Amino acid sequence: MSATLTKPRRPAGASAAGAAPAVGQGTPPGKPATAALASVTGAVADAAFRAGSWLWKATGILAFLALWEFGPLYLAAPSTRVFLPPLHEVLLAWGRLFESGAIQGHLAASLSRSVLGFGIAVVAGVSLGLLIAWYGRLNSVLNPLLELFRNTAALALLPVFTLLLGIGEESKVTIVAYAAFFPVLLNTIAGVKTVDPLLIRAAKSLGLNSPRLFQKVILPSAVPTIFTGIRMAGTASILVLIAAEMVGAKAGLGYLIVNAQSSFLIPDMYAGILTVALLGLGVNFLLVALERHFSRWRTAVGA
Amino acid sequence: MMTAKISLRNVSKQFTVRPGRKPGGTATTLTAVDSLSLDVRDGEFLTLVGPSGSGKTTLLDLLAGLSTPTSGEVLVDGQPVTGPGKDRAVVFQQYALFPWRTASANVSIGLEGKGPDGRKLSRRERAAKAREYLTLVGLAGFEDRFPHELSGGMKQRVAIARSLAYEPDVLLMDEPFAALDAQTREQLQEELLRIWRATGKTIVFITHGIDEAVYLGQRVAVLSARPGRLKAIVDVEIPDRDGDEDIRSAPAFVEQRHKVWTLLHDEVRLAQDAGHRKILPDGAVQDEPGPEEPANRTPQGSPESQERSAA
Repeated sequence: MSATLTKPRRPAGASAAGAAPAVGQGTPPGKPATAALASVTGAVADAAFRAGSWLWKATGILAFLALWEFGPLYLAAPSTRVFLPPLHEVLLAWGRLFESGAIQGHLAASLSRSVLGFGIAVVAGVSLGLLIAWYGRLNSVLNPLLELFRNTAALALLPVFTLLLGIGEESKVTIVAYAAFFPVLLNTIAGVKTVDPLLIRAAKSLGLNSPRLFQKVILPSAVPTIFTGIRMAGTASILVLIAAEMVGAKAGLGYLIVNAQSSFLIPDMYAGILTVALLGLGVNFLLVALERHFSRWRTAVGA
Repeated sequence: MMTAKISLRNVSKQFTVRPGRKPGGTATTLTAVDSLSLDVRDGEFLTLVGPSGSGKTTLLDLLAGLSTPTSGEVLVDGQPVTGPGKDRAVVFQQYALFPWRTASANVSIGLEGKGPDGRKLSRRERAAKAREYLTLVGLAGFEDRFPHELSGGMKQRVAIARSLAYEPDVLLMDEPFAALDAQTREQLQEELLRIWRATGKTIVFITHGIDEAVYLGQRVAVLSARPGRLKAIVDVEIPDRDGDEDIRSAPAFVEQRHKVWTLLHDEVRLAQDAGHRKILPDGAVQDEPGPEEPANRTPQGSPESQERSAA
């Protein structure tokens, strides 16, 4: 959407850039200063165009932030303003939390839990997924069970984990691992099962035995699908963790949000929410980059 | 009689066809190849033609060791085939390149295990060998390209280089040029003949096209409609084959082509009347024309289009 919207802006930048070299050509040789000036103008126009396009893409965000800043100040009733403080108050609260080191502490607590749970899920999901996909009979036994567990919302099991593992780290890491496990597992199975049978035939005709067929054909072929699962798991792990921290924890971003709310430190609460949003954005960005890196060969297959 | 490199003795292959979606469908047995006997000489270029559903691909799978015959035996160098082996290589119609590997890495995949002398080649040796064979197929300088960066003709060249790289005695080719455009196909046909002369491999080449069969093969084996039986073997004798002349318009070529066409003509009609469908390697039956039957097969000189040109 944003790509098509930027187009109308292009002619302005392009014509400026196009006009600049024309000035350079018109000057007789021996006046390099004018030519240099022209190229500088071109570069500036180019940079301006790029900045303009960037600005356009950020419009939605900026509008939202503006609404957040000015809405509570001018549009909302004073009583609402208490529960919906304008952006600058939230940012000030964030600054205070950052200076006191509170936000770093909560972020570290949340990150270590989600990284640990996510890591366990990836290792377990990939290895079990490969096993299940490779042995068809295991699949037919486990599939109904997996369907049942997968369709049970992870948060519904939070009380179970809390009862069994207490309100400490174990229950939170476990529920993150549980929620992140299924996307990884199911995508790994799908990845292995959708390997082009022709490639398997070709590999067999090349004399590859089963272990090497698996290592050199099935696994690399499944990697992009597995990474799609890992990306989904990353999003799921953060989502579930925040919820788990809201229910019972002594640290973490979820705890920060709920605790701020009950202590009536409303700007602090929004500062926590803002941090969660940025964390989710960052994790997704990282995992998308990773996924893209491992599926480079697949980019033009459909073309 | 000369010793045969490949020997098929009374080979039959049957598939159990899964019942269709229609209610009351039952599994039936389908004979794809029926008591077929055929010898291929060492260093020979043999082409196999037959109507759709005459078991050409089944036959190639048997030769490659990707499936086993229901009865009869397949011998290579007098030894029964028990599975895929390094003495045989297959080139598929759809290239079957590994898309995550570069051209060079695709070519060298067959070299990554232990060689016949029990020694493993180093990475550098494998790359050198891959370069050697990519040069042989005219792709020097394309070592680091991924398959999606190559055209259809180039992909098939890589596939040919891959199958040659581990130095098999026999090259089994399953309609390798069927998905290519006419010019690329002609170019690759010439290249294949050049490679065959340079390496002295035994080649079994399956094709839909009569022109291609007569142009490439020293002998053309014609299969009957399903169940696939050997209908006839035509010795292709064209004088001055290696010259620069346009062989396809030489009187001898036209005559041989017509011979093969006549043999195939009735079989094609039989196959059409029977509404033959393609059998996939796992025994599943596919409606024809299915996704594995690209539309660009017809201009290749398939029996149908031959019919028109001959009329």
